[in-house]
Amino acid sequence: MLGLLERGTEVSGASGLRAACGECWFGYGVALLSIALVSAVIGVVTKLVSISNISMLYLIAVLAVAVAYGRGPAILASAAAFLTYNWLFIHPRTTFTVADPAEWLALFLLLLVGVLAAQLAARERDRAREAEEREREAVVLYDVVRLLSGADLEGALPEVAERLRVEMGLQAVAIEIEDDTGATNRAVAGTMQETRFTPPAGLKSSGDNGSGATKRLRVVSPHPRRRALVGGQQWMRVVPVIGPQGRAGDLLLVMSPASERYSPSRERLLGAVATQLGIAMERDKLRRQATDAEVLRRANALKTALLNAVSHDLRTPLASIIASAGSLRQTDVDWSQEERREFAQAIEEEGRRLNGIVGNLLDLSRMEGGTLRPHKEWYDLGALINDVVGRLRPITARHRVIADLPDDLPPVHLDYVEIDQALSNLIENATKYAPAGTQIGVAARMSDSEVRVEVYDEGPGIPQDALPHLFEPFYRAATEAPKPKGTGLGLAVTKGLVEAHGGRVSAANRPGGGGRFSFTLPLKAPMDATPARPHR
Amino acid sequence: MSRPTGARVLVVDDEPPILRAVRAYLTRRDFQVETAETGAQALDAYARRRPDLILLDLSLPDLDGCEVIRRVRDRGNTPIIVLSVRGAEQDKVAALDLGADDYLTKPFGVDELLARVRVALRHAARPSSGSEAVFRTGALEVNLEQRRVKVAGEDVRLTPTEYDLLRTFIAYPNKVLTDRMLLQQVWGPEYGGESHYLHVYVARLRKKLEADPQRPRYLATEPGVGYRLLDQEG
Repeated sequence: MLGLLERGTEVSGASGLRAACGECWFGYGVALLSIALVSAVIGVVTKLVSISNISMLYLIAVLAVAVAYGRGPAILASAAAFLTYNWLFIHPRTTFTVADPAEWLALFLLLLVGVLAAQLAARERDRAREAEEREREAVVLYDVVRLLSGADLEGALPEVAERLRVEMGLQAVAIEIEDDTGATNRAVAGTMQETRFTPPAGLKSSGDNGSGATKRLRVVSPHPRRRALVGGQQWMRVVPVIGPQGRAGDLLLVMSPASERYSPSRERLLGAVATQLGIAMERDKLRRQATDAEVLRRANALKTALLNAVSHDLRTPLASIIASAGSLRQTDVDWSQEERREFAQAIEEEGRRLNGIVGNLLDLSRMEGGTLRPHKEWYDLGALINDVVGRLRPITARHRVIADLPDDLPPVHLDYVEIDQALSNLIENATKYAPAGTQIGVAARMSDSEVRVEVYDEGPGIPQDALPHLFEPFYRAATEAPKPKGTGLGLAVTKGLVEAHGGRVSAANRPGGGGRFSFTLPLKAPMDATPARPHR
Repeated sequence: MSRPTGARVLVVDDEPPILRAVRAYLTRRDFQVETAETGAQALDAYARRRPDLILLDLSLPDLDGCEVIRRVRDRGNTPIIVLSVRGAEQDKVAALDLGADDYLTKPFGVDELLARVRVALRHAARPSSGSEAVFRTGALEVNLEQRRVKVAGEDVRLTPTEYDLLRTFIAYPNKVLTDRMLLQQVWGPEYGGESHYLHVYVARLRKKLEADPQRPRYLATEPGVGYRLLDQEG
């Protein structure tokens, strides 16, 4: 699709024209000078020895000029050689008349060979130059593809623009693309006034007309109509970028008066870069879709886990409550005082359990939503621990709970409700894993900057492979014996709450068996609340 | 408060509050309630107490509830009602296909639970026994919900083993039951060769139920094989 511009003599001419700007006049000068030099050499040599066909020396100069400066200077050199030889060395000298007809042949052969050699040498030179250009083009294109192949399309655009600007010697290059979500990416290399971003109306349609429905990428032809004079002396070129859904933006090029003129190879390069931009956008879109799909899949997995937890762990206490209340409601049964008390107690206990689960779920959703903000006051941590241990007595009835607290615990800056919940979750967790009749300890230890609260048990301990995952939501350590009850939320909630206080959670196995869960709280009040965030 | 004399119900659940509520309720409805918190306890209680009906939670700490259904079905066709928070269709289908008789999703109302218990006992009595869990043939009348046996309107007192043996016959009316099968169903899976136990108990049952024990009207001997409950109405 880049073959819109035929290569051929005109192409060569175009590249020749590019050279015709000062450097080429120098070439013509060198051509004349070299002929003068060769003439002098011939003059000296013919004084000493007589060599027929010494005029062939001129061909060396013609070939050298052709290789160095191209066709025009070489032809000039041929003509100059023809005339100079005739004037200086052919009898009668200092005239353009030729006495010996055989000399005519030699003279015209010189001219003919000179012109032909000049043509051949110049063509080789053009080819070499073209190959060089193609190589540069390939290198630029390779760089652009490499820049665009990264994950960050937005970040790559300025680099691509700068690479193009430097390569083509432009004043400025701007890339302006709009992705399928409607977001516009704009990258500018070089200096360009904002007003120049809006090309004249006729320019915008350049990618849409012509190829019609197929919407193929087209290189804008270098016709004057396609150029807009911007800001007086600056030329602006617009190359459309065709993305996944048709035209997605433009490549804008601002040329300074010093910029090289466009050659077909430049057009080809621009077209290829525009194509790569389109491909990169397509890839970016697919990548975003894949990411979205992955995010959605994870959200779904979390939702499923949440639904399972909710269905099991909310319904279980509900079942006890409904069964107890339904029994109490029986009109034809005369329940004894003791029976009534048991039903009421079951309803109350299970209601509290439900409340704990709902509290954890709410805390978790607040953590995920980033809206967890502890309302901290100065509290006596020892009193808080004793409160929690006392309140959990119905749950810990099958275990011996021992609180081991130093007398000189300083006040700690904390949200009472949240740290209460964090500690409750750790103790409840211990009751689920440690066998009945064993001891559960709650201890507090101080260091310079923090206080550490520990809950340890005499249970089976924590499997090694479970240690890194313990504080993940819905994670349940696989144990050999009874599968513990619960949502798998408690530890995750504790972690979130403690981290919102600027503390840390940790879990380890005790040397003598059993697990040890702990969290720290800073003793000095931090400047502001640290929101819950992932750690490790 | 008199001791409950109704059908024996084994309630299996790992949640003590549920166990307490269901036991209190069913006891007041005159059922004899046995409870178990694990699958192992449930199977042990099943072997020991030969319940008339099992209420089974699927989420047990040791065994999966489905495994309990499978093992109970290996030994007999005691009605099983599953009580579970698992409400998905495939969970219900899996439990019912394994041999559960009914499935009640938690949370449930106690009145519905009672109604379903009655249905299960009724079906155990006979597929088409109307609205009562009562098996009738000739002058014999067995109320499976109340564990009461009558002959010609007169209450007959049976020992628990006699009752279990009669109930096993009722579960397979008109079918030949081998000595070994009857021994395992009534006395437990470790029995099988002790045919003399069986002969003793069959003789006692005949004495209590038959008008003429020498020529049995209900419990027929299949020589060399076992026994059969004759049920002309079935």
